[in-house]
Parts: sequence; structure tokens; C-alpha cells
Amino acid sequence: MEPTEEDKLLNEVTGKSYEFGFTTDIDSDTIAPGLNEDVIREISAKKSEPEWLLEWRLNAFKVWSEMEEPEWAHLEYPKPDLQAISYYSAPKKKKEIASLDEVDPELIKTMEKLGISLEEQKRLSGVAVDFVMDSVSVATSFKDKLAELGIIFCSLSEAVQEHPELVKNYIGTVVPQRDNYYAALNSAVFTDGSFCYIPKGVRCPMELSTYFRINEAGTGQFERTLLVADEGSYVSYLEGCTAPQRDENQLHAAVVEIVSLDDAEVKYSTVQNWYPGDEEGQGGVYNFVTKRGICHKRSKISWTQVETGSAVTWKYPSCILKGDDSIGEFFSVAVTNNMQQADTGTKMIHLGKRTRSTIISKGISAGKSQNSYRGLVKIHPGATNARNFSVCDSLLMSDTCGAHTFPYIEASNPTAQIEHEATTSKIGEDQIFYCQQRGIDEEEAIGLIVKGYAKDVLNKLPMEFAVEAQKLLTISLEGSVG
Amino acid sequence: MTGSKESFTLNFKAPEFSEELRSEGAEFLQDLPVPNRKTERWKYSPIAKLLNGSLKTFGSEGLVWPEEILPDPVPFLNSYRIVFRNGTYVSSLSDFPVAEGVVCSPLSEVDSVEFKNTYHRKEWVGAMNATYHQDGLFLTVDKNVILDRPIVVHHLTDGSDTASFLRHFISLGEGAGAEVVVWCSATDASSGMCNSLLEGHIASNAYLVIDKVCNEGGEIFKFSHEHLIQERDSRLKINTFTVKGHWVRNELEILAVGAGTDSVFNGTYMPTGLEHVDNHTTMDHAHPNGTSSELYRGIVYGKSTAVFNGKVFVRKDAQKVNAFQQNSNIVADQGATINAKPELEIYADDVKCSHGCTVGQFDKEALFYLKSRGIGTDEAKALLVKAYVGDVISSVDRDEVRNEIVRLYSERHGWE
Repeated sequence: MEPTEEDKLLNEVTGKSYEFGFTTDIDSDTIAPGLNEDVIREISAKKSEPEWLLEWRLNAFKVWSEMEEPEWAHLEYPKPDLQAISYYSAPKKKKEIASLDEVDPELIKTMEKLGISLEEQKRLSGVAVDFVMDSVSVATSFKDKLAELGIIFCSLSEAVQEHPELVKNYIGTVVPQRDNYYAALNSAVFTDGSFCYIPKGVRCPMELSTYFRINEAGTGQFERTLLVADEGSYVSYLEGCTAPQRDENQLHAAVVEIVSLDDAEVKYSTVQNWYPGDEEGQGGVYNFVTKRGICHKRSKISWTQVETGSAVTWKYPSCILKGDDSIGEFFSVAVTNNMQQADTGTKMIHLGKRTRSTIISKGISAGKSQNSYRGLVKIHPGATNARNFSVCDSLLMSDTCGAHTFPYIEASNPTAQIEHEATTSKIGEDQIFYCQQRGIDEEEAIGLIVKGYAKDVLNKLPMEFAVEAQKLLTISLEGSVG
Repeated sequence: MTGSKESFTLNFKAPEFSEELRSEGAEFLQDLPVPNRKTERWKYSPIAKLLNGSLKTFGSEGLVWPEEILPDPVPFLNSYRIVFRNGTYVSSLSDFPVAEGVVCSPLSEVDSVEFKNTYHRKEWVGAMNATYHQDGLFLTVDKNVILDRPIVVHHLTDGSDTASFLRHFISLGEGAGAEVVVWCSATDASSGMCNSLLEGHIASNAYLVIDKVCNEGGEIFKFSHEHLIQERDSRLKINTFTVKGHWVRNELEILAVGAGTDSVFNGTYMPTGLEHVDNHTTMDHAHPNGTSSELYRGIVYGKSTAVFNGKVFVRKDAQKVNAFQQNSNIVADQGATINAKPELEIYADDVKCSHGCTVGQFDKEALFYLKSRGIGTDEAKALLVKAYVGDVISSVDRDEVRNEIVRLYSERHGWE
């Protein structure tokens, strides 16, 4: 694979001058590596957090200290040394930012390279961006416009200061501190993230989006997103990730919590493109994410994800269908190439009556990668007339990769209806032959077939993401033919 | 768990053959953890209740065979027979094939057996079996010899707090063929544990058919492990029917060590009351051009639980493998639970592998159709159930075996 070729395609993706592996030199306020109670107190103090949140963090730390790193996933990687990570790295704030002019010019450059310059975003796309750079949110646009509707969209630390009652009420209710090892770690040391609240009956007029970017060398990123959709509201939330090139493995242990109250609808889309490491498996991001939403009566949560990056992915966006008639959806395309490993899927917990869930997972493995789907569909005794439909397809692009399926089905109600099917196959030679006959070369033909294969999921993405995601698929699989 | 594993195992006394395996098993028994709810492979099938008991092994000497159970479990089947009671061989009720190229006897009467199975190194249950195995079927069939009649292996558990450990060994030479019916029964008053292991080697071009039936009364914890190794172009068909059983765990492992193997394995389970049935299957395709087809169907009644875990491995270089797995379940009553986990692990690209798993109910339209023709709800359901599991039962080759399974299911579930 020619690197120039890749660059060309990458540039196309962003449509701007953009390439992997750049870092921005900004004075960073970084605390010494290591993790203990003092570090947590320091993080909390730096962010001038209220006492209850510090207590909450310390409690999470206590829980975490007693936990062991999970090993059940179909993944092999050297365990990250959590004591070697610096848990706080914030671009130094000189003063409160009132307008874009006051933003560090270096930072603006980064944003421009990322293709999400605030100026441009504001004027052109109508997407409100909460830009997160190394854990601290530095600028937020479209705030006023959203404020008119009563929508709160800000960084989590800002929300802690300004809307403590909302944060206190919902944080940790969907992903409790002791949920799992990485969720507990995140609860203890999370630095920032996004907070979003949609008031009763409000339909959010634009796609909300956040861009994450790991920037400072040696800093793990512990984002925490909290999204609350009040009764009868609607919101579509986009999350995209890119990370610059690093030799050492970087840890990303985020938590996303969604509360969808009665009759609300939340659509959460992710394009994940963290640095996957080089062809030998050197470097790359560890992506250990806990994402979960809770659905109250007649509400709906829809997860859509396109996973192309990260050296190791461990991620199960889930829905707790607590309210009667609630709906959970999961649409996923996971692409692994070279030495990448992914263990991803979803959990659908049916508690309420007439709850429905749909799972569509498309795995594509190439190179020497390992791609696993792991999912749980659980129907509790009280979930009368629950319905689930799951499809997990895997596409194998080389004879050195692996595709695996581990679905768990637990049904304890006589009216439950569950269907699960999974297939594993490779691209048909006849399909490629058909394309080649018509003058389409092999690589392009494979791109075409893969896009068709992933179409069910890509169609669920908002427009802006769909285009980018399709190109990402092509790039990720480049050079994997043969 | 109140009973430690030492106090649980101390009561056992085993016969004095195959010492090597026994001592190796004992070593592993020391170190292997007792399965509990946190053990992934056992999370849906806890055995804590068994561990609280205190069990012992019994012989069969001087005991009168109970009237309610026929020594020959499959009436009218023209077959050979080997009978065990509480893990020990009952010679008076057995009838062996005498033919050139066939060696068939109880394991305890064989000079030496080359066990290759290593289950005892992996699982506590396996180590138990290796350490305490009492007896079992020993069958070898030479090259190109086809056994003329099926062999029925009948095991009876009889008595309370009984522990029985069976170990069967089957080896078929090139182009050989054999049919075996493995039948387990127990009297209603019996309780304890039955731990059996079957090791089968199928050489190239040979075929082996196994029909396995569990029809046990009483309260027995049943561990049954079948490990079958298939060489090039060999064929295997194994049907597992759990007609009745308090707590049953069927583990089936098929390993294809040559190209072009064909494996068919099916099963049914219809637990009622508080019964528990667990079916674990592993199909390991390590060589190219193999095919496998799996169909398991079950209905859970009352407050029973059923588990299905089906693994299909396709190793690197096992190209052109065609593997199919289907598991269907019906949860019939409130309080019943099914836990299913169909798995695929694929490391070769030019393969066709699929699995399907469903949980559902009786087809309302079909029920309506039958009811509108004057058939009562219960009878209509029985008809549907019969058809549903009938698809699986029909894969039994021998009419006599098939009819007996249908008869037992009918009796139990009130079919016509």
C-alpha cells in the first residue's frame, strides 16, 4: 500500500488539509502520571467541583481498586499500565472565552485541520459542535440558539457548575460506578465530556455533535457523556473520533449515559476512527467504552456505530428497555484490518411489556485482525410480548483474519419472540468477476460490495456522517485485497 | 457451597484398572476449580446443590433388577446389548457381538486402553471421571468391518446418593461402521450423580451413528461428555434426546482431524417442572472441505430451564468448510427460562457458516386452524409439538429406536 495513496484518500474524507499524526503545541496543564486518591482530589480541585462530586469520584475509586481487569473478551493485548498515565491534561485557560477571537490560535489551527473549524461550522453546516480537546471543552457554538429552546448542550464540567441538580440526578444512574472495571475507572477520573438536556416536548432542530481528540502524549482520555431527553423530546447526537499517531498505546475509557424519559427519542451515532496502530500492530488506541441508555415508557434509543479505528475495541452500546412499549436499536459496522482487534456488540435488556429491539451488526475483518460480535438479549419474566430481531453478519477478507460471534440469549417469558441469525462468508468470486467484467477493478469492486453489505447500517447515519463513513470504510480496507 | 470438594469425593472407591489415567485425573482434580456461577461454561448450570450432598459409589452385586425398567430399553430392536448398573457391568443381562474384526466387551475386562481424551485436564467434571471411572463399553471395529446390528449400551441408576462414573471407548478402523444406542435410565427413587464420558475415534471413510437417550427418573445430576474424533472422509451422526432428567448436561465435542468429514448432530429437550437440561456442543473444523449440520429443538415447560451452547470453530486453513447450526426454542410457561448461546469462531475465509437461534411460541394461526376444525387447545398444541420435535426425531435411522422415543415423549407430554 502506497502511503501517498492513503493520504490522498484521507484528505478526501475530511475535504480539508488533514492527516493523521499531527500534534498541536499548546501549553498544557498536565498533572504527574499515576493514580491515587490525591490525584482524584487534584482533578476535582482543578475543576472546582462541588463536594458531592468529589465524594462520588472517591467512592468510584474505592470500588475500582477492588475490581479486576476483565479478561473474558476475545482480545489479546498488553494490559495498559494505569499508573503510567497522566489523568489530567487541560489546555491552559488564560481567561474565560467569550468569543472565537480569544481562543488559542494554535487550537483553531487544529480545528481547521480536523475540518471542524468553529467559524465554518457556525456559518455553513448548522451543526452545533461541542469541541473537546484533551478532556476540557474549550469552545461551544450555537449555544444561544439552543438556549432559546431550553436545550442545554455544554461540557460536563460546565453543567456541574451551572446545572448541578440535573447532573446529580442522572449521573451514574445508567452506568453505575461498579458496573465494570473501566466504567469505575472513568467514574473516578473523568475529566470532562458533554452534557445534553432536551426539555419536555422539544425537538432538537439540529444534529448535536462532539469531536474527541486525544492530543497530549501519554494522557488517557476519560470522557463522560450524559444525555437526558425529557418527556416527548427528540435529539440526534453525533460523536466522531480521530486521534494522532502514537507509538505507545493510548487508553480511552469513556462512559456514555443516555436517559430517555417517557415518549422521548434519542439517536446516537458514532464514527470511531482512533489511530489503529501500524501494520505490525505497533501503537494504536485502546478503546474500552461503556455506553448505555435507559428507555422509559414508549421511548426509543437508537445506537448507530461505524467502528474502523482503534487497536483494541471493547464496546457494547446497550439499551435497558425499562418502560412498557419502549424500543432499542443497534446498528453497527465494525471494520478491522492489519492487527486490529474488536470485541463489540450490544445488550438489550427487556424489562417492560411489549418492548422491542433490533440488532443489525456487520463485521468486516481483513489482514490479521480479529473481529468479534458479542451480544446479549435478555427477556425478563415480566416483559410480556417482548420482541427481538438480530442479524450478525461477518465478512472475511483474508485467510489470516478471524470473525467470531458470541450471542447470549436469555428468555424467561413465554410470550417472548426472539430471532437471531448469523452468517460468515467471504465476498463471492462471482460478484467480483461480475464487476471486473464491467471494467471495475478488483479493489473498487470490493469497495462497492462492502458498501452494499454495510448499507443497512450506513443508511441509519445522519447525512454528514454517512458520506464520511463510507470513505472511511474504503480507506480502512485499502490494500486488504488478495 | 457448603461441601468442600474433598468431602464430596472422599466416599468413592474405584476399581483397579487403567491406573495411569486414574492417577493423572486425581492430580488434576486437586487443582481444577469446581464450576460455579462465575465459570463461563457453567454459568447457566450451577451444581452447588449437588456439591452439598454426600455421595458414594455402589456395585450391582446381589441387587435385583427393578421391575419398572426393562433391561432392554428398545423393544423389538434386533441389537447387541451391554448393561451397567450404578456404573458397574451386569453380565447376566448383556449380549455381545461375536464376529471377526470386532472386539466388544466391558472396559474392565480389557487389558489396556489407549485413552486419548484430555477432558480431565480441562474440567473438574472430567477429572472426576478420570479419577473414579468404573466401567463402560469398549468397542473396536477393524478395517472395512460393518457391525451387523446396533449395540445398545444401557445404564441404570438405582438408589439414593449414588455416584456412577462411566467411561466408554469406541474405535472404528478405516471404512468400518457401527451404530450405538446409549441409553440411560433411573428409578424414580434414585438420586445422586451420573458422570459419563464417551471417547470415539472414527478412522477415514468409517461411519459411526450414536443415538443417545436420557430417560431418568429420580433426582440425578447427569454429566455426559462425548468426544469424537473424525479422520478424513469419515461420517458421524449423533442424536441426543433428553426425554426425562432432573438435571442433565450433555457435552458434545466433535473434532475433525482430516479433510472432507461430515458431521450431523441433532437433539431435543422438553424439560418440565423444575428440570434443567443443558446442551453444549462444539464442532471443531480443523481441516478443509468438512461439512457439519446441527439442529437442536426444545420446549421449556413449567419452571424448568434449558441451556443451549453451540460452538463452531473453523480453524485457519480449514477452507471450504460448510457449517450450519440451528437452535429453536419455545418457552411454554411463565417461569420457564431458556438461555442460548450459539457461537461461531471463524479463522478461514472461504467458508460458509451460519447459525440461527430463535425463541418463540406456538404459531397462533396454526393453533387457530386446528381449533377451528374441532381439535381442542391441548390436543392442537400436542400436534404442533409433535411436528416440531418430530423433525429432529426423524433423523434417527432405526424405526424401533425412533418409535420408542416418540412413545416416551408421548407418554410424558400426553400426546395422542
